[in-house]
Amino acid sequence: MRRRTFIKAAGASGVSALLAGCTGSGTDSTTTEQSGGSTNTTTQGTTTGGNKPTLTVGTYGSFVDAPSTSPGPWLKEEFEAEFDATLEWQTPDSGVNHYIERSLRNVESGADLYVGLDSQMLVRIDTKLDSELFTSTSDLSRRDDVNEELEFDPKERAIPYDTGYISLVYNESYGDGGFTAPETFDGLLDSEYSGALLAQNPTSSATGQAFLLHTIDAKGEDGYLDYWAELKENDVRVLGNWEDSYTAYSNEEAPIVVSYSTDQVYAAESGEDMAKHQIRFLNDQGYANPEGMAAFADAANPELASEFMDFMLRPEVQAEIATRNVAFPATTTAELPDDFAKYAHEPPEAVTFSYDRLKDNLSDWTDAWAQEFASK
Amino acid sequence: MSGIPVRRVARFFEQRLLSFVAGLTAVILLVLFYYPVATVFADAVLEDGGLTIEPLVAILTSEFYLVDIIWFTTKQAFYSTLASLALGLPAAWLFSRFEFPGRETLRSLTILPFVMPSIMVAIGFVATFGRNGTLNRVLSVVGLPPVELLFTLEAIIVAHAFYNAPLVARIVTAAWESVDARTVETARSLGATPRRAFRDVVLPQLLPSIGIGATLTFIFTFASFPIVLALGGFQLATIEVFVYSKVRDLAYAEAASLAVIETVISIALTAVYLRYEANQRAAGGTANPLPRQSVLPSDVTPKSTLRTAGIAGYTAIVGLVFIVPIASMILASVTGGDGGLTLSHYAFLVERQATGASFQVKPLPAIVNSLVFAGGTLLVAVPMGVTMAILTTRTYRGRGLIDVLSMAPFAVSGIVVGLGLLRGLVFGVDVFGTRISVTGALAIVAAHSVGAYPFVTRNVAPLFSRLDGRLVESARSLGATRTRALLDIELPLVWTGVVAGAAFAVAISIGEFDSTIILAEGSGSYTMPVAVERFLGRRLGPATAMGCVLLAVTSLSFFVVDRFGGRWGEL
Repeated sequence: MRRRTFIKAAGASGVSALLAGCTGSGTDSTTTEQSGGSTNTTTQGTTTGGNKPTLTVGTYGSFVDAPSTSPGPWLKEEFEAEFDATLEWQTPDSGVNHYIERSLRNVESGADLYVGLDSQMLVRIDTKLDSELFTSTSDLSRRDDVNEELEFDPKERAIPYDTGYISLVYNESYGDGGFTAPETFDGLLDSEYSGALLAQNPTSSATGQAFLLHTIDAKGEDGYLDYWAELKENDVRVLGNWEDSYTAYSNEEAPIVVSYSTDQVYAAESGEDMAKHQIRFLNDQGYANPEGMAAFADAANPELASEFMDFMLRPEVQAEIATRNVAFPATTTAELPDDFAKYAHEPPEAVTFSYDRLKDNLSDWTDAWAQEFASK
Repeated sequence: MSGIPVRRVARFFEQRLLSFVAGLTAVILLVLFYYPVATVFADAVLEDGGLTIEPLVAILTSEFYLVDIIWFTTKQAFYSTLASLALGLPAAWLFSRFEFPGRETLRSLTILPFVMPSIMVAIGFVATFGRNGTLNRVLSVVGLPPVELLFTLEAIIVAHAFYNAPLVARIVTAAWESVDARTVETARSLGATPRRAFRDVVLPQLLPSIGIGATLTFIFTFASFPIVLALGGFQLATIEVFVYSKVRDLAYAEAASLAVIETVISIALTAVYLRYEANQRAAGGTANPLPRQSVLPSDVTPKSTLRTAGIAGYTAIVGLVFIVPIASMILASVTGGDGGLTLSHYAFLVERQATGASFQVKPLPAIVNSLVFAGGTLLVAVPMGVTMAILTTRTYRGRGLIDVLSMAPFAVSGIVVGLGLLRGLVFGVDVFGTRISVTGALAIVAAHSVGAYPFVTRNVAPLFSRLDGRLVESARSLGATRTRALLDIELPLVWTGVVAGAAFAVAISIGEFDSTIILAEGSGSYTMPVAVERFLGRRLGPATAMGCVLLAVTSLSFFVVDRFGGRWGEL
């Protein structure tokens, strides 16, 4: 039995309490929960009482806590009902960076698996860490159900569970109406689209990064910087994040925004005018950004983590994830509701960079872009 | 029970209270600021355990970083400071010299921009200054051509003024109200014109407060980041944008080097200001503030007409820069996807509160936590700030250094502090084989206090330096302890500054995001700004509703702080 000591949030005072903080050893991590004035203490880690094991899953905030829908609560309920285990979500603000940072500082990961990896993150992990943060999982019964085209980890640590496509969303009723987005990357350079496009900072936003990578794929390593110089000349706006650009788009600051090809799902939900949510796949392509899950190398419950991953790939669970995360399933066996395809659009052709290409180039490509675009 | 031992014990603590608080301040700063920040800054000069200057040199020899980033950041901060002064000083004049209905309420509300999450400001600004915004609609009604303000340097500067002009106004108003009317009357009786009396008597007493307002504005806008990208765009990227990008890419050597350079510039500016402030010996007290006059003149003269027109024009600008964006935020929180009015975003908050899972962020705990932390910050930051103010107004060797070090929390990038807290506190430190980590409510209060106490110090220190030292000496020679003299003599005399600082402390605590989100992770200690961020999704409504809750709660708490704080001081 591991030793645990807790800080008491209420009643503790002065410097001794502050410094005492919480002490623990080994893989323990301790948190103090305070809500509504009452204080209670929760633990996360391996076991909580009796023999019921706890599976700790790291993920990004909106996977469990989005204002519209998110798969987290449903997954927890279903998994716990079936496996007689407790599922605990961890949602550090910096996402997977939090765990990389822990590893860099020689602190145990404190979780069993992470949900929400993409190839860019894997590149970051493999460039910055000498040790293995994640381990490969091979013994899943549904591993072969995963659509091969979505596989993005050559080391087979990350198993795809859904995918999104980054595309343009445009407003048909912009200006005097009858607006339509260009069909090609070159079309975006036309003077009629001056100031028409809102994109996002590729150094901090997933959609912004995908759009930059798509331009590199379309224009080539040697051509994308020139292309962006021309986009800049044509008054493209690269804002901080998706929220910034979507706020501006919703206020009709500009008629085109870089977003997800599932944009209409949300629009339909809140009864918006579909003319303002038209999807355009430039060059008939969408940039695929599959999301994957992987078990931590130091997971306390690796078997349970495997069971969870198998659970995630079940046909009915895949359908729920797709609907609730508003993305496309990763398996070929998912049982989607009939009206799913009505608002969620798939591109005629999906493009994406392989892990190996990204590993050698991602930082350089992004840095070069940032220096080009931020030069005054 | 005998009274003597109790009095002795009380006296024992009284005698040592100042040293105790000073010691506590040092410990808090070390644990929650200097050590965490050092873990990050070390990356700028350490490589594989050895010292290196390469990352710093790489940046200082890069034309891109020097000209396009650092120089540009300096330039925009300078313009932003000018704009904040231009917008803030007239407000200080109005608040301190005029009487008008709702003056005190309005003055309390000037704190609101401080606590506003940047996404809220972005929403308000796009709705106000955008192509289809309020400004352009008004312009088209009166037949003027539209202005393209968004995604320009000008938009960033106006947004920075939105955040910082209220800061300037609050600080200068406090100083203006403590100008002794008798000094002006003396000048006038000696034949000085009103203009001359203002220039020679009033202005010198205001300059230190204008100086600190300008210095703080420069430092804050120098490290600005989300608002730059939301209203300007990446082509107008500042140093902090690159610090964030590099941290996210885990390129720590570059991130730390940029942050070190940023901090050095801010600290240098702070040192220049503090040197100036130390040389000012403003005279006077607060016994006889200048009388207020009505905004509506009693008789019509060319001069009074001009002044009324000026005040009206200024009010229109304030309406455009402050009132319209805030009204737009409130409007956005009740606008549905179809453009019609709806309460569905607020219904979401109620529903989340009622049915949210334990691991989800709920509105009520966020409100309660914010208020508890703000209260805690008040209790910790005010003693810290007052004690530092006493230390910095004494004369001793190394005082300048203490002065600057105590202001450092303002000068270090929030991103760096956040990363440092993660490394230093959340992950913990190995002490004799035991890992000690500090998170949750206490750590959050302490972190907020670190960010808040310099406001208290800067509001109080100038007043302390004005006090007649003989007052304390007399009290002590009559047998009062140092603490007793402070509580009974000095504090009542500097109370306006304490209240002003306390208001900032509460605002800093309510608005703080970077440290809170890191220390609150997994503990349920999240606050209102964290909830706003969490409720951002593919629909913006729920976040704006939470943002309006934040505005409402903050406004209410400020009535309490300003009103009761002021009364308490009058007792």
